[in-house]
Amino acid sequence: MPELPISEEFKLDVLKEMGNIGAGNATTALSTLLNYERVNMHVPEVDLCPLVDIPDLMGGAEKSVIGIYIRVFSEVSFYAVFLIDFESAQTLVASLTGKKYPVMEEMGRSVLLEVGNIVTASYLNALSHLTNLTFLPEPPLLVVDMAGAILGTVLAETNVAEDYILVLKTAFVTAAGDIEGNFLIIPDQNTLDIIVRLLVNGACQ
Amino acid sequence: MNEQIRVKIADYAVKKEEGMLITVGLGSCVGVALYDSFAKVAGLAHILLSDSTLFKTPSNPAKFADTAIPLLLEQMICIGAKPTRLKAKIAGGSQLFSFERSMTSVGEKNICAVRNVLALLRIPITGEEVGGSVGRTMKLFVQHGKVVISTVGLEEREI
Repeated sequence: MPELPISEEFKLDVLKEMGNIGAGNATTALSTLLNYERVNMHVPEVDLCPLVDIPDLMGGAEKSVIGIYIRVFSEVSFYAVFLIDFESAQTLVASLTGKKYPVMEEMGRSVLLEVGNIVTASYLNALSHLTNLTFLPEPPLLVVDMAGAILGTVLAETNVAEDYILVLKTAFVTAAGDIEGNFLIIPDQNTLDIIVRLLVNGACQ
Repeated sequence: MNEQIRVKIADYAVKKEEGMLITVGLGSCVGVALYDSFAKVAGLAHILLSDSTLFKTPSNPAKFADTAIPLLLEQMICIGAKPTRLKAKIAGGSQLFSFERSMTSVGEKNICAVRNVLALLRIPITGEEVGGSVGRTMKLFVQHGKVVISTVGLEEREI
């Protein structure tokens, strides 16, 4: 079939839709993990954020936060980053284990890495169904530092060509307290083009 | 006039006589502070990547070492700085995530690119705190050109 002309605006729509699809799945996975108690989930906000504002996402570039970083390789590649503040991380660890493990000790870190894994994997599953691509996530990495330093590093690692980044804001309310997090998807330029083409062709069949 | 200007990621700013230039959260990014002590002209850039020529359409010149530093220099000359009087201090270029691959990290590439560009422009580096695995905040005081670095959980120090 002939190649459809694809506008920048349309690409942005696809990016947002990539976000919506994944956010639903990722949040469902997280609430399943927390199924010992009632979990209320806010509808995830999906937004395209200017690159220069990314380091301030967590309420200030200098704020100390926890970042979980996962690289995904296949025919296409992109990067997922899950960011939470210390309070939310503490609540999450307590909700999942039923115990107050300190977030920065082995058990706490391990729980957070696993959450990063599950959230990212469920996101990838959704995208994989739609595009018929196989995604291979690498093991997650966890880091604690200034939000600006973490996000700046991620942007540099991905050699980000875009001036806008896809951001999903997720929030849960559990019996143990509120959990707020940011989930960032940073595809590289070719990835976006490939996925747009697959989705457009899929929709036309 | 004693204001402070915040330099965001992939951004730069210049200032004369007094006040402060600050950039927060340098991870693998490199902060480049240039200062002319005679004219009291200061400039600070927050550089994200090393080389604009690797991109098909580099949109923002302030993002890359090879284009941001000449741009910063130009702006400083506009408000009275002389290239021959400039001194540089640099910070950042750390590796926050411990990847297992042994390739050169983005931080190291950025440091190397910044050093090369400064050498080409014949601007000496008189202070630095680079590498490692922590994020940094960099403050440049316009009045005297002092540069102060802070990291999570550590005291501020001058470089």
